[in-house]
Amino acid sequence: MTAETRYGPAFPARGEPGFSRVPQGTQFGALYAREVLKTFRNPFVLVITVVQPFMWLAFFGSSFSSVPLPYLDVLLHAHIQSYLQFLLPGVLSTSMLSIGMFGSMSTIQDKRFGFMKRILITPTSKATVYLAKALGSATRGMVQIPVMITAALIFGVHFSGNPLMWAGWLLCLVLLGFGFSCMFLALTASSTDWQTPGVISNFITMPLMFASGALFPTANFPVWMQTIAAYNPVTYTALFGRGIVLNGTADWLYLGYVALFATGMVTVGTLVASRYLKVE
Amino acid sequence: MPTEAIRTHGLTKVYGTFTAVDHVDLSVPTGSVFGLLGPNGAGKTTIIKMLTGLSDITEGDASVAGFDVRRDPMHVKRNVGWVAAEVILDDDLSAWENLWLQAKLQRLTDWKGRADALLGYFELTDRRKDKVSKYSTGMRKKLEIALALLHQPQVIFMDEPTIGLDPNTRRMLWELIEGAHKEFGISILLTSHYIEEADRLCDTVAIIDHGKFVACGTPDELKSKVRADLIEVETGESVDAAKLQAIPGVVEARSQGKTWILRVGSAEEALPKVLAALRSDGIRRINVEKPSLETVFLETTGHRLGASTEGNVDYRKFYAQMRRARQ
Repeated sequence: MTAETRYGPAFPARGEPGFSRVPQGTQFGALYAREVLKTFRNPFVLVITVVQPFMWLAFFGSSFSSVPLPYLDVLLHAHIQSYLQFLLPGVLSTSMLSIGMFGSMSTIQDKRFGFMKRILITPTSKATVYLAKALGSATRGMVQIPVMITAALIFGVHFSGNPLMWAGWLLCLVLLGFGFSCMFLALTASSTDWQTPGVISNFITMPLMFASGALFPTANFPVWMQTIAAYNPVTYTALFGRGIVLNGTADWLYLGYVALFATGMVTVGTLVASRYLKVE
Repeated sequence: MPTEAIRTHGLTKVYGTFTAVDHVDLSVPTGSVFGLLGPNGAGKTTIIKMLTGLSDITEGDASVAGFDVRRDPMHVKRNVGWVAAEVILDDDLSAWENLWLQAKLQRLTDWKGRADALLGYFELTDRRKDKVSKYSTGMRKKLEIALALLHQPQVIFMDEPTIGLDPNTRRMLWELIEGAHKEFGISILLTSHYIEEADRLCDTVAIIDHGKFVACGTPDELKSKVRADLIEVETGESVDAAKLQAIPGVVEARSQGKTWILRVGSAEEALPKVLAALRSDGIRRINVEKPSLETVFLETTGHRLGASTEGNVDYRKFYAQMRRARQ
């Protein structure tokens, strides 16, 4: 029953119309929306996210600008128009390596300010929180992709391939970013220290960036680095994109490998987080 | 609806070798306000964390709103609200967005009418679209209580609801808590180390010290347990216990540093005799206490509520407040 009270209109009581429950999806949706909302309300974070890969292209992409193209063709084992054309798919792949840092830092912030308690005191599972954070931070990382491609077009890079291939490439990058985001968040699930994400980021990024085919062809590597590169999903995302940009060919098996990596990471990460995600 | 909002049996929490909560038996009747009174570090917050499923129970059983905390934590979480000591809100979001998030996490539909009504009740309607970081402490606290009420819980946990607030805001909050309790018929478990707060708000009070219940009852029952009045005396010269105990009317004399606490049948009768006996010892301070929850605490634990907080300050809460004050 509802009635007027001293304090204004009374509220529908439990079990009455106006008080019902909806499926679990909305918890994930709301937490994910919160992550994205917070990012886009902070213009500084957004600007840095966008500028950083742009600087990669501008500075690193220009380092071989005086080298005659035939030399570069030999060094890079490819027929290219500019080093930038070779580099773009690689830099896009490596920039997916550390985007998990965003989610990790926002998780630690929630733990520090107690907001994790506010979330987990509602019927929300740790797995839901984890997945929303992982997808949220992958989404934030995705902002880089259109910016870099536009920048590359401005720098005069020519793209081969067709829309289907480009869509596949985008998917490949999304999967790579989501996979590493999941890995990152699982590694920091039990951490409450501000410094951890930075340390983990260096730990993941450095070896996986250079022991991949992202910046240079693996054919020039020593055997041990080639071995790492052969298992590194960054290599396959870079090769997939490079095939499309340089030759207009897509090796869909590479996409499959990256999808497998993302599936593995999200599975293991969810299990780890639902056990070890700390409340504070 | 179950007759008991909260029931625990032998509830225990052990961190490594430290026992934070030690075999606590608790029974909170539906619709009542129950107070856990004790100094910082006594185990009050740990009890709330266990009852809300935020922290695992080491030993014992607990049920909240009729659901077993261990076996059915999700049902418990649907039926409890929570007001944190340090006011936890998402500062980047507005009041309305905080309510939206809470509604989604509680999986509510048709929550907007109720959220509107709550904002009206707490006089926040005009500021609903402002970022919470721009709110005053009192407004933040009100919004936090609104969040706790949004999903119509059966039980609300309030952890030190008025800590760090100025006296006016504290009184306003007491009125709001009393109003909300009457209006919504919700059972409330609140923790406090303010005697006055427990005395004013609670139907039943349990005094907790070092993780154990040392006394439990209505405020009046507890006060009647302390039949004696207390006289607190501080002297310049050191006085020995035998001299004090020899004073007619003194039942017991206990020292607390340079201060003596004398238990007397009636302070009015004993005071002149105490003054006469200690005339040559240079009385620096004298204080008479009639039974209050403070004296109950002193009687049952042997130390004052404030005394044991020294060297045991909750720095995290303190720093959280400092951070907020700076913003």
